[in-house]
Amino acid sequence: MLSRRGLLGGLAAGAALAPATRLAGKPRMGGRVRVAGIVASTADTLDPARAGNSSDYMRMFLLYSGLMQYDQGLLVKAGLAESIETDDNIRWTIRLRRGVHFHNGKALTADDVVYSLLRHRDPAVGSKVKAVAEQFVSARRIGPLEVELRLVGPNPDIPVILAQPQFVIVENGRRDFREANGTGPFVLKAFAPGIRTIVRRNPNYWKSGKPYLDEIELIAIPDELSRVNALLSGDVQMVIAVSPGSVKRVRASGSHLVMETKSGVYTDLVMRQDNPVTGHPDFALAMKYLLDRDLIKRALFRGFATIANDQPISPLDPHFNPAIPQRAFDPDRARFLLKRSGLLGTRLPVYVSPAATQSVDMGSILQEHAARIGLNLAINRVPSDGYWSTHWMKHPLTFGNINQRPTADLMFSLFFQSKATENEAGWKNERFDRMLIEARQARDPAVRKAIYGEMQLMIHQTGGVGIPVFISLLDGYDRRVRGLQPIPMGGLMGYSFGEHVWLDA
Amino acid sequence: MSGTAPAARWRGPARLVAQRVVLALFTLLLVSAVIFTISGLLPGDAAQELLGQGATSEQIAALRHEMGLDRPAVVRYLEWLRAIIGGDPGMSLVANKPVAEIISERLPNTLTLAALTTLFSVPFAFLVGITSAVTRGRTTDRALNILTLAMVALPEFLVATIAVLVFSVKLLWLPSITIVPQDPTPGEFLRAYAMPVMVLGVGVIAQLGRMIRAAIIAELDRPYVEMARLKGVSQRRLIFRHVLPNAVGPIVNAMALSLSYLFGGAIIVETIFSYPGLASLMVNAVTSRDMPLLQACAMIFCATYLLLVLIADTVAILANPRLRQG
Amino acid sequence: MDSLIRAARRLPLSGKLGLGLVVFWIVVAIAGPFVAPYPPGSFVNEEVFAGSSGRFLLGSDFLGRDVLSRLLSGARFTVGLSAIAVAIAASIGTGLALCAAVGPRWLDEILSRSMDTLISIPSKIFALVLVAAFGSSIVLLTLILALTYVPGNFRIARSLAVGLARLDYVEVARARGEGRLYLALVEVLPNMMRPLFADIGLRFVFIVLLLSGLSFLGLGLQPPDADLGSLVRENTSGLAEGALAIIAPAVAIASLTVGVNLLIDAATQGKAE
Repeated sequence: MLSRRGLLGGLAAGAALAPATRLAGKPRMGGRVRVAGIVASTADTLDPARAGNSSDYMRMFLLYSGLMQYDQGLLVKAGLAESIETDDNIRWTIRLRRGVHFHNGKALTADDVVYSLLRHRDPAVGSKVKAVAEQFVSARRIGPLEVELRLVGPNPDIPVILAQPQFVIVENGRRDFREANGTGPFVLKAFAPGIRTIVRRNPNYWKSGKPYLDEIELIAIPDELSRVNALLSGDVQMVIAVSPGSVKRVRASGSHLVMETKSGVYTDLVMRQDNPVTGHPDFALAMKYLLDRDLIKRALFRGFATIANDQPISPLDPHFNPAIPQRAFDPDRARFLLKRSGLLGTRLPVYVSPAATQSVDMGSILQEHAARIGLNLAINRVPSDGYWSTHWMKHPLTFGNINQRPTADLMFSLFFQSKATENEAGWKNERFDRMLIEARQARDPAVRKAIYGEMQLMIHQTGGVGIPVFISLLDGYDRRVRGLQPIPMGGLMGYSFGEHVWLDA
Repeated sequence: MSGTAPAARWRGPARLVAQRVVLALFTLLLVSAVIFTISGLLPGDAAQELLGQGATSEQIAALRHEMGLDRPAVVRYLEWLRAIIGGDPGMSLVANKPVAEIISERLPNTLTLAALTTLFSVPFAFLVGITSAVTRGRTTDRALNILTLAMVALPEFLVATIAVLVFSVKLLWLPSITIVPQDPTPGEFLRAYAMPVMVLGVGVIAQLGRMIRAAIIAELDRPYVEMARLKGVSQRRLIFRHVLPNAVGPIVNAMALSLSYLFGGAIIVETIFSYPGLASLMVNAVTSRDMPLLQACAMIFCATYLLLVLIADTVAILANPRLRQG
Repeated sequence: MDSLIRAARRLPLSGKLGLGLVVFWIVVAIAGPFVAPYPPGSFVNEEVFAGSSGRFLLGSDFLGRDVLSRLLSGARFTVGLSAIAVAIAASIGTGLALCAAVGPRWLDEILSRSMDTLISIPSKIFALVLVAAFGSSIVLLTLILALTYVPGNFRIARSLAVGLARLDYVEVARARGEGRLYLALVEVLPNMMRPLFADIGLRFVFIVLLLSGLSFLGLGLQPPDADLGSLVRENTSGLAEGALAIIAPAVAIASLTVGVNLLIDAATQGKAE
């Protein structure tokens, strides 16, 4: 049997893509584009295990292919894996596509997949997804093109996990990543960390007729204004992460467009539950009432956001619980709660940083409203540099920035499970933890959905994070660039634009 | 004084150079110690920064061991020192490449940008400085004065952004980012560098121009100028044959400072034009806590600065007999 | 007081202009926060980057805050912080320079070498590392700015002082048996004041610019405080539409720095003639 998710993914994609393709016209072969990402540093890598930022992800999806691939919605479709099957969500059988070749001509086999999956567990590899890979008890070859993956416990989300950029397939035994030998749509032509990546079309790509472009140059322009200027002056044809304030300008140019991708990315106020003040239930609730969601959406994001409800599952997710009433901006209620708990006169520092998108301005807004009801918040802006390792979650009030994760399970287990290292607020709830496991074991999707719905309500009511809005991803591109579709996993089609776009004459 | 033999004329500078080289090595040692100490105070280390937001402490510990960061700081510093004395700046902690290789990709970029900016700005600076000095107090001087002040006074990022908006976005004349194609034609080459050179040039012309003006005016106030004027020496001859050679000391000093600024201070220009130079490499090394790379950048900046100052001082001494006796 | 006014009258036109600008900015720095029509942090306008209107003379910024109020409150930081920083930098720099000039040779060497060490690290990167290591509270920021400009001031002051210390009249005083402190403070320092002030003026501009450069790199003052440089920086997205929110603080910076320099130029030259 084809896994439920894989099947659904295929269907949904087919339905959504058909009219879009008609609109965009017939793909044209050839051409070269230059794409500007946000980050470039000497840590830029060709090693999938070490891929850690949007530019790395783009590079991975240009050069390598995963067993599964991101699709529209929060779905995945088959990639190098022809099928992926399981009976118990523990033992997974992965059947590989026939006739796939690496850039150096070697044929793809089960050994490559086994090596690619298990190398993440080796500490020396320094993999970003080591924690995820720990659940792989074993991976073994059961045929030339067949792999069996065994997990520690049931996990219905394996197909989605395998679509992540770090899990793309490398050649068996490969340790040297100064070169890239993948099965992806493009072959590496030049790579200078922190400067540029140039790739050219892979004539033997396993999807016939793709990719369309001859060559792609990936650079990075960290400064947003410069990035948009480079787009408008024609120096680059695509840019990731246009700020909401620049959208009007890009659209006004007449020659350029902006693609909005609704996503579940959020910047949240983190209130540590182990602190006597911020851990007080009244305090957390009061802060949630103090979030001026409308102003944040209107002024900071110019409308390119979806109002959120202090829980991490966005309306995009099939498991979203629409029954939870929306929390409104209510300073009087916040004042009442703070007064009741005797916390009104307290003075607290809030740590903000450009590292957490828009947290500096969100902090300013929060501070302004708090001051009006008699709560003193001191904004402490710290440089991006070192923010995540030294400030985030380390003070009573900080801001976090959480990227879209493909499933509700990942969202909950990474950021809300009592023992999770990134449980931002240090929120502990045994019932929540139990429900997370129950949902994994549930065979009936409706039961799972009900459990997830209840978990969202628990976070909404008692959680230690205030989530004002889900942020839309905005990408700018030249009108002649065609074939772009929103994929909520990240900007520029979940970083995988390479094989989809073409250049109109 | 005037009858100094040629050999004696060079003896002073030669001794100066020898002395300075020894002192320079000592300064470099100090810089490396300062850099090492300050960066030790920075929160986090290379392993943490590389693994990022979601890393567990075991993962970090493992990577730290891999990078050799679990050894005491002093040991790491001494090891680095021993290697650098042997001429080896070591391996980058995050890029898996020798530091020398990374630097060799960036150094030519920084040199090119600095050289072009110098070629572009120095003539203008002299033009501004001399014109201003000879018309001292008159309208031209006042206008130039306010103009150069305004040029110094605007933040570099604002100048750069306005320039991009006008020349790249509006007029589509020049590229907004500096990407030099492989094997460029001279035209492509100049077009690629036009914007950053212009923006850096604004500051350099203004500052250097003002210094040159001040140096010339200081000379013009000296008695010998009055004498020469009375003897009927023409203005042009006076400036170029008498005043400029005497004012050379402060001018070369100002030039040395401007040049060293072009080397390490171009960080904002490098950021806005996304130009891969040494300054952004150094910032990168700071943020990723890549100690060997950071040290290498600091050494280069320091050595360049010391070299430029040494050249300036030597020129000043050669040009000014009063200082030659030291 | 009278003599000050008379001195001001004697200034050339450019000097008067500079003096006017400087006085204007000092007044704004002191009184600004009290005359600001709105609290600088409050969101008073639904429209972002609005143009000038009766209620908002300089329009609104990228969050819909009143630009005039933010400018009036921000001037204090730019003027005050930079002035204090330059004063600290100049006192330390010049003090050390005097020690170097009249002190023993080895002291000069040590000071010169340590200053070379500091000056050879690019100032923006140096400030960046310090902010990353120690944070950016107002006090720390002032100290960091000051520290960054000590070596530059030292270099200029030392070359002036060494030159003066070799002159005959200082030698005469030395022969008279005057102490080193006397030589430094009475014989050398007064005679280097004029060029020194020119340097301080320029350095003031550099500090204002470094402060705004730090804001560009996201290392400036803590919100809701914002110096003029951060006001420019945070509103750069309005530059393309020519928003007052960015033009006003940019003009403010330029008029402040130009004013300071015109004044110093005129004052130092005025005495020379």
